[in-house]
Amino acid sequence: MAAVDMPVAGGHAEDSHGDPHAPYLKAKSGIGSWLFTLDHKRIGLMYLAFVALAFLVGGVFALLVRLELFTRGRTIMDGETYNRFFTLHGAAMVFLFIIPSVPASLGNFFLPIMIGAKDVAFPRLNLLSFYVYLLGVAVLLFAIVSGAVDTGWTFYTPYSMQTGASVIAMTMGVFILGFSSILTGLNFLVTVHTMRAPGVTWTRLPLFVWGMYATALMQILATPVLAITLLLLSAERFFGVGIFDPKLGGDPVLFQHFFWFYSHPAVYIMIVPGMAVNSELIATFTRRSIFGYFAVAMSSLGLALLGFLVWGHHLFVAGMSEFATMMFSALTFLVAIPSGVKIFNWTATIYKGSVVLASPMLYAMAFIFLFTIGGLTGLFLGTLSTDVHLTDTYFVVAHFHYVMMGGTVIAFLGGLLYWWPKMTGKMHDEKKAKVGFWFTFIGFNVVFMPQFIMGSRGMPRRYYDYLPQFEIFHKVSTVGTWILAIGLFTTAYTLLEALFRGQTAPRNPWGSAGFEWMTDTPPCLANFHETPVITRGPYDYHLATPEELDTGWDKVKAQAQAKKD
Amino acid sequence: MANVSDTAHAGHDDHAHAHPSFLQHHFDTPTQQFNASKLGMWVFIATEILMFGGLFCAYAIWRGLDPQVFDDAHHFLNKIMGATNTVVLLFSSLTAALAVRSAQVGKRNLTSFYLVVTLLCAAAFLVVKYFEYSHKFHLGLLPGHCFGHPGLSGAIENGREVGTCLRTTGTQTTSMPEWVKAVDEGGQTRVLPPRANMFFGLYFVMTGLHGLHVLVGMGILTWVLIKNVQGKFSKEYFTPIDIGALYWHLVDLVWIYLFPLLYLVGKPE
Amino acid sequence: MVTEAHAHAHDEHEDDGAVHVHIASTPFYIGIFLVLICLTVLTVKVSYYDFGAANIVIAMVIATTKAGLVAAFFMHLRHDKLFNTLSFLGALLFLGIFILLTYDDLSKRGRLDPAYGGRVNVQTGQAAPGGPPATSATYDALPEEAPATSGAPRPAQKRE
Ligand SMILES: [Cu+2]
Repeated sequence: MAAVDMPVAGGHAEDSHGDPHAPYLKAKSGIGSWLFTLDHKRIGLMYLAFVALAFLVGGVFALLVRLELFTRGRTIMDGETYNRFFTLHGAAMVFLFIIPSVPASLGNFFLPIMIGAKDVAFPRLNLLSFYVYLLGVAVLLFAIVSGAVDTGWTFYTPYSMQTGASVIAMTMGVFILGFSSILTGLNFLVTVHTMRAPGVTWTRLPLFVWGMYATALMQILATPVLAITLLLLSAERFFGVGIFDPKLGGDPVLFQHFFWFYSHPAVYIMIVPGMAVNSELIATFTRRSIFGYFAVAMSSLGLALLGFLVWGHHLFVAGMSEFATMMFSALTFLVAIPSGVKIFNWTATIYKGSVVLASPMLYAMAFIFLFTIGGLTGLFLGTLSTDVHLTDTYFVVAHFHYVMMGGTVIAFLGGLLYWWPKMTGKMHDEKKAKVGFWFTFIGFNVVFMPQFIMGSRGMPRRYYDYLPQFEIFHKVSTVGTWILAIGLFTTAYTLLEALFRGQTAPRNPWGSAGFEWMTDTPPCLANFHETPVITRGPYDYHLATPEELDTGWDKVKAQAQAKKD
Repeated sequence: MANVSDTAHAGHDDHAHAHPSFLQHHFDTPTQQFNASKLGMWVFIATEILMFGGLFCAYAIWRGLDPQVFDDAHHFLNKIMGATNTVVLLFSSLTAALAVRSAQVGKRNLTSFYLVVTLLCAAAFLVVKYFEYSHKFHLGLLPGHCFGHPGLSGAIENGREVGTCLRTTGTQTTSMPEWVKAVDEGGQTRVLPPRANMFFGLYFVMTGLHGLHVLVGMGILTWVLIKNVQGKFSKEYFTPIDIGALYWHLVDLVWIYLFPLLYLVGKPE
Repeated sequence: MVTEAHAHAHDEHEDDGAVHVHIASTPFYIGIFLVLICLTVLTVKVSYYDFGAANIVIAMVIATTKAGLVAAFFMHLRHDKLFNTLSFLGALLFLGIFILLTYDDLSKRGRLDPAYGGRVNVQTGQAAPGGPPATSATYDALPEEAPATSGAPRPAQKRE
């Protein structure tokens, strides 16, 4: 039987996907064209919408938690509600927002374009991962409705085995979300391996792709352990298997090992994509090749590897054996090396670069500043003797917010502003974007700087009430959340305004040499009209032709002028 | 570089071949599609290994710390049944591999035959497992605080009457199980040490998760079988059979370790 | 009929984009299967003899040989892309890290209390993390005359 006689299985029918040369937003229309799309760009946008929604929800919980802490004693809610709210803030931000934020939205959109592919390797799996994510969200909502969880996002045993809250529904939701994350990572890894266009060698891979690759490795290797941890926790609640239960001969600290074997790499699943975005921003807005390209690429892989060796630093005061605490502390310091490689290479790139202070670049600079603070305070926590005093204080809270929010969220916002014209074909208002940036940046520091201070003075985290000497810090911190909220809403408004009323963006509005800017704005359904053949690296400004670097603003202005006349 | 005017490989896939029907639109060649699918499956296998790995980690820890419990408790598993199941799974792995081979040489009916044999073996495995499980239930060798449930048998002589599963007996919910006396697989009456519940907890979780994978694997192989009967596969395109078989081999791989770890390792009499 | 060893001589059109794989013969697969069966019989037979601490080593060596055969030939790793093997071994490597570092902590943290199952710090006699529960009602319900078995750990004395 010859191959051509075979009936169509799944099939290669361009018509069912739409015209490959039409802009991806117009290639097909109707609600079905979104719900059943296999186009990585549309899936990325759908992810973006839900991720943004999750950020809004998590943010509202954060505002409420901070508002409660504005005064001593009860301000707006009782202690139990407070416990549930900070758990929901943490769970929503970690599992619904930060983990999928950059990879599933920006990564989905740009990773295939950056390697010259028509799509990810498994488009159907990609769509499935999105629906699995939605299912996870639904289960989490169910958990919230049926009483929420008061364990914190870490579900530590033995409390999580005893509390009356709906732990099983919550862990199932997180389990499902983890599955979605695995599917995304698997897809990206295979895509980078098998879908690169001719000429996209490993040494020409954009640093964003390297970051996504490292993230995918961690998603693949760490998330399954979270899955089994949560399954065991559920089994523990159902039948009392006993592995984590000292009453049955188990060990609750073992749960922490299981949990952090996933969740420390998960921290890098959150931050490495931020770094990946940042490398792109720095290169474009300094108009030069990234200093130490290879070192930056390898430092992503280095972080991915080291991420699996340091989880024990979350257990220093949990009563781990002394030898293990020393070993994990020593290993934790190693993390400073790849992080430092990135920071120094970025600053070296900016040095003597032709810096353009566009709004995405402001975010990129803020990232370097805030991540440095977040990273250096991490050393305090990795040091055994200081960690004993700082564990479970606001110092830790401030530290990881400087990394997660000051790092990933800032890079995510910068990336959104940077790629918004490519994604939507519309240009945002730079002035408003910059106003949004400054409110965000200042607000963020006002929220979390005081938390470093009160943490180092002994204010424990997660407490509902506090002593009088901490009042001023809590007040300032709460006021900071309002400034931060203004900044974030301004940025959201800027982006939405661009979407609906923005100026049409040219092909390469920032004048970048990156591969993704070489195709149409917005890209056609097949990403490129012909499979591109790459002959230079993404940061080789000296090899890029003037046409490639042309922003196209002249043409846009001329057209606008012509319209006026 | 990415000049819009550049073309790839000068029409490599445009006129050198017709785009075969099984080739999805975003791939250039069948080889690219095949390699992507295979790599995807291997990466998926990696995730499965790490997921089961959590259980193997728990096993390593509790066995390493408390070998006596495992020595004593493993006498309650039937080596012969376990070995039978091992042979059944190995044979099903053979037939799965042969199904792929028949597909590679384009023998569709032979592929169907081997897939059916594989499915039958999977069912046989589950039947044996069912008998093993029900015997454990009967003896009350259950995980955690259900351990020592007298169930239907008088074989257990507890210090006092436990009634039903400890979990539901009231306020004293979770506590160390009783010392349990039961007849082991060698026909010997044997007292189980405290924390034998840990062994059976691990036994049920590990074999239970493995059993779930057997069920999922049966589902996948059934789907592949249907597609094969419908004639969707050929010498040129047999990827789903290959992928399905890989999943089935993974199920076998896990069992290859579960069998000695649970049934064999421990002091013989 | 079904014994052609290598239906694989297509190297002359290497870049025609069609899938070419190594195809092993049916007798070869059956041979592998027979070796696997022999190893299974061996591991069961060996389990009736006591080699002390080597028990688990022997069992794991045999199991790993079997797993290696299945992976290399039934799963085609032997003739597959190298990176597939790497991802398989990489998973095992990271699993090894997980087990090793976790085991390191638990094995160095106190001793397991033989009766209660919790852990006790040997130096201080206090409960170590993951230590025993405050009370153990079942402990008192210990049968008076529990027959001695193959060295089941017995508590030193009954608590009043
Ligand atoms: Cu950490």
